[in-house]
Amino acid sequence: MLQIRNLTSVFPTDSGMIKAVNGVDFHLKQGQIVGLVGESGCGKSATMLSILRLLPHPGKIIQGEVLFEGEDLLKKPLSEMRKIRGRKISMIFQDPMTTLNPVFKVGEQIRESMVIHGFFKKDGWNGFDFFRRRRKRKEIDKVISLMEEVGIPSADLRYYDYPHQFSGGMQQRALIAIALACNPRVILADEPTTALDVTIQAQILDLLRRINEEHGTGIILVTHDLGVAAEFCHEIAVMYAGRIVERSKTDDIIEDPKHPYTQGLLKSIPRIVKHKQKLYVIPGSVPDLLQMPPGCAFAPRCVYAIKKCKEKNVPLTEIEEGRYVRCINYI
Amino acid sequence: MKGIKILERILLAIPIMLGIAIIIFFFMRLTPGDPVDIMMGKAGMVSKAEIANLRKEFNLDKPLHIQLFLFLKGLLKFDLGKSFTKGMPVMELIKETLPATIELALFAMMFALIIAIPVGVISAVKQNSWIDRFAMAGSFFGISMPHFWLAIVAILIFSVKLNLLPTQGRISYGVELAHITGLYVFDSIVTGNLEALIDTLKHIILPAVSLGSAMAAIVARVMRSSMLEVLRQDYIVLARAKGLPEWLVITKHAVKNALIPTITVVGLQMGVLLGGNMIIETVFGWPGIGRMVVNAIFARDYPLVQGVVMFYAFVYITANLIVDIIYTVVNPKIQL
Repeated sequence: MLQIRNLTSVFPTDSGMIKAVNGVDFHLKQGQIVGLVGESGCGKSATMLSILRLLPHPGKIIQGEVLFEGEDLLKKPLSEMRKIRGRKISMIFQDPMTTLNPVFKVGEQIRESMVIHGFFKKDGWNGFDFFRRRRKRKEIDKVISLMEEVGIPSADLRYYDYPHQFSGGMQQRALIAIALACNPRVILADEPTTALDVTIQAQILDLLRRINEEHGTGIILVTHDLGVAAEFCHEIAVMYAGRIVERSKTDDIIEDPKHPYTQGLLKSIPRIVKHKQKLYVIPGSVPDLLQMPPGCAFAPRCVYAIKKCKEKNVPLTEIEEGRYVRCINYI
Repeated sequence: MKGIKILERILLAIPIMLGIAIIIFFFMRLTPGDPVDIMMGKAGMVSKAEIANLRKEFNLDKPLHIQLFLFLKGLLKFDLGKSFTKGMPVMELIKETLPATIELALFAMMFALIIAIPVGVISAVKQNSWIDRFAMAGSFFGISMPHFWLAIVAILIFSVKLNLLPTQGRISYGVELAHITGLYVFDSIVTGNLEALIDTLKHIILPAVSLGSAMAAIVARVMRSSMLEVLRQDYIVLARAKGLPEWLVITKHAVKNALIPTITVVGLQMGVLLGGNMIIETVFGWPGIGRMVVNAIFARDYPLVQGVVMFYAFVYITANLIVDIIYTVVNPKIQL
């Protein structure tokens, strides 16, 4: 349903081009949940923003395709793009505290999404509006039932609250309600639980899973937490320095990670055990996106690296049915 | 709850006003020159007895602390005393000249806001474009040029060379206008007096533009910088991700947030417009409070200057209070 092909986005800076997204390929099937996992700054969020063409200035997409229902979103005029944003593909952001507009009532912000996409309009003539008040009441009722659906208690009162009167978890629920307002086909969830407490995190993920099951909404979940992705996603794509390094079904990745970076990530998940042991740390640090090594971006930190790794960059290759790895050791 | 807070603020203003009253009382008496001498100097040929009489009439023969006491006692009853030079109660004189000053300030502010807010918004949205650079150069000009200079240049161009606009006063001789509020433009609209409306508008354009240009410049800059700040926020990305058209993102989601810092500046500037217009009123012969107080200072008319300064202090305090109240409306996070 949503297919991303060779997507490349750059941020020009004074000291050179930063390739935040570097030839990313993956797809999301109807009703599927795909996890996009990687460290901070590896280009996960930039990939999401590129899909909706919302990269902040001066970032721009320089090549690739974003095929949605058979059409390339990158080629659409902006006016068409607006009809897709929030209507067919919507987004949930990382930090709910700063993402809701502080000067508007929460309920109104949810209602706005529906109004803007003509969700309340009847077909045909829509001229004089004799029953404006009554119609608005209907709209508000619809928003309130949506707020109830995402688990905001006493929604009829909280409709009129401002964002700062909501807790972080409730704010994120409100944002999910905004994303859900027009019953979209795809939700791009950009680290939706990072800013929240662990207990709230589980509730929000449950909510997203329920939405996925009940509405058949496809979800791309961006997270830096492989544990969350393993719990929640059907498929996982691991990103490193702007590239996808491994992609396959969740079970395969968790049980038998192929790429050395994925192996490192899995090893560095803390576990609760009786005897304290030192946490595994991947040696080295993320490469400077301005000075990317010519070969595999992970080679300088990789324990299996051979000479060729540093010379040549290999493409993402299918090594088994549905398993894609970008590593010379498997070719 | 809100009412109590507002009342608290009003009560807090009382000690401030008292402080100002005492300071202005002594400052006036520290200025060299004696009011009676100045009056008599104009009249010429007066006897010692007449001078003594005048001093007695103005209470200038009493010791300083008694004079202060009398002034403060008057304030309690909203009695600002009697003007030395005009022989009328100061309160009456302020009431008489206030409409002219208010009208000028309102027009100056309208001019400033109508220009400044759109310019600030467009400059921010088109940051670093030629429009932005041109607007910011213009606003730099507006801030740096003293407004009396702007006023004189405007008179030279529009009145002297082009002969389009009058240079003095509020209304031409011979134009009849019924006084209702004393705001001439308003009065002429209410009475349907087209001739007076055109005439009063012609009179007010130059002073209002000269007075408002500095405010326009400042407000445009503040609006631009707060818009730039707001446009970087996450909620703007959300607004775009919802599928809102860009003009709605700007005018609805960004502007309301960007107005919050701008309102502070506008409120302070409103005080400046009402209380800092002596020069403009003098240049344009505008019969307002500013021109009256300038003349009063030259004549050492103690009660009149004291009264007007008290009035200015009152205006500033009220403007600040109104700003704080508007704040709570625009920004739900802030409560008084």
